[in-house]
Amino acid sequence: MYEGKSILELHELLVSKKVTPVDLVKDAIELAKKDSNNAFEYIMENEALAFASELGEPEVDNPLWGIPFVVKDNFSTKDVPTTGSSNILNGYIPVYDAAVVEKLRAKKAVAIAKTTLDELAMGGTGLSGHLGMTYNPYDRSHTRLVGGSSCGSAAATAAGIVPFALGSDTGDSVRKPASLAGLVGFKPTWSRISRYGLFPFAPSLDTVAYFARNVMDIAIVTEALAGRDDRDSTSSTKPVEKYAENVKIACKTPRIAVIKEVVDTISDKDVLDAFNKTISGLKSKGFVVNEVSMPVEVLQSLLPTYFVISCAEATSNNANLDGIKFGPLSNGETYEEVMANARTKGFSELIKRRFVIGSFALMKENKNDLFIRAQKNRRRIVDLINNILKENDFIYLPAAPSIAPKATDGADKLSDEYLIADNHLCMGNFAGLPSITLPIGFKEGMPFGANLMGRAFEESNLFQAAYALEQVTGLANVYAKGEEK
Amino acid sequence: MKNYDINVLKDAAKRLLFDMSDSEYETLLKEFDVITKQMEIIGSDKSLDSLEPMVFPFECTTSYLREDEPEEPLNREVALRNSKRKIGGQIKLPKVVQ
Repeated sequence: MYEGKSILELHELLVSKKVTPVDLVKDAIELAKKDSNNAFEYIMENEALAFASELGEPEVDNPLWGIPFVVKDNFSTKDVPTTGSSNILNGYIPVYDAAVVEKLRAKKAVAIAKTTLDELAMGGTGLSGHLGMTYNPYDRSHTRLVGGSSCGSAAATAAGIVPFALGSDTGDSVRKPASLAGLVGFKPTWSRISRYGLFPFAPSLDTVAYFARNVMDIAIVTEALAGRDDRDSTSSTKPVEKYAENVKIACKTPRIAVIKEVVDTISDKDVLDAFNKTISGLKSKGFVVNEVSMPVEVLQSLLPTYFVISCAEATSNNANLDGIKFGPLSNGETYEEVMANARTKGFSELIKRRFVIGSFALMKENKNDLFIRAQKNRRRIVDLINNILKENDFIYLPAAPSIAPKATDGADKLSDEYLIADNHLCMGNFAGLPSITLPIGFKEGMPFGANLMGRAFEESNLFQAAYALEQVTGLANVYAKGEEK
Repeated sequence: MKNYDINVLKDAAKRLLFDMSDSEYETLLKEFDVITKQMEIIGSDKSLDSLEPMVFPFECTTSYLREDEPEEPLNREVALRNSKRKIGGQIKLPKVVQ
């Protein structure tokens, strides 16, 4: 009944008392129970209804009051199972809330479910979680990916079940699925939002991130989540701006860079046509669009650099999943055997392969050639990006080379289209920059998107540019209405 | 860089305290072939030699003294809740000392 509505639309219904938080939660939970996209790890029916029933009078100045949302299952949620979609954490019930869950609770938004992900957020397909593939709500044949790793949060938002969803983004784990599922997906500046309670994957790249169906809703959520948290020593002390209030103000610095070598690797004419059409639209709104260059060999090096750094960081970060500190206790004659039995059974083969790659990169004989080399290349990439952003305010690119691929499609992993067009969003993580994906078109009933990246801590400017783009495309608040529910 | 073969990968897995099936090691070997080719792009570029490795995207150091305020620690019942095997208020581990 309330599916597909935005935060502000639901807020209006709530403050005018046409609906109560309990009504919204019941409706969202009903939809979640009927979900056929494998989006959920755990539906928080009792917890959500209890919380919603105690909210009292509507808060006119708090747009998140009584709004249902979902949480990727790599955020700790007190007294609610949290698995990271990994068998090694089956049955784990945290004793505390992640900072962002706590903040949303303080705003009286209502968490209604935990969502599926690629195991421990290490994947980009939505295929590797312990519950199996999460489907794209736009594809009723259940053959196309929704993308990952924040697959369940993407599917729940794209199906219209909730207006926004928490995810996390280490390489493109919110912004790529946003493209494949017709959503607005945003990762803030690294350190802008506390990561306390988010399972670490690669902390030099990890950010809290989220999906919504329009830019204003993203700005509202950002305002609620940003800010210093002493429990995350990397969180910034910079003041939090009035993002939502600023969204509709015309962008004062509208210079956009398009990296020619990225666009040149895309072969899908429909994606290119839609992208070029948005450029014309932005120009008509006063934006200056500059074509810039980056060396092809640097762009080809993005994915391997990401892979080495992220796998190496993940290898050590997940060492605590050993069957003693976390995970099911196994038998064994020695403590190594106890741990090895738990880890062998608990991790999927894909995750183990990632850990081996990370471990190999950190071996004494390889560290300089692989890990340190990748970190040096990260600096070169970041210097090039920041140079582009000296003369331009944003970098604007197609977020992915095509609509959602089928699960059975294979990519040539050495092709430029795969290395560059399909994997360039990790530039935002290397440089720690705010980055937002929006839908720009549809092909064969499937959405595709484009991405804007701005300077560090300039979220307000980025939202203004994104709002202008949203006006150009007219694709705010789209969702997969054909879903069987 | 160290040459890799199935034994090197098995050694890496052993150090990480898990094992994989033989077919997974074969898959991993194929992945290594791709990653090695991808990494050659970086390896052959001498201009990287003089750059400092980048660990974090930018400086974000914070130092502060927390207030000396008492906090409620987890009580024993909550702290032990995730353990399936406990005895006398403690977590019971398998005996591993011979």
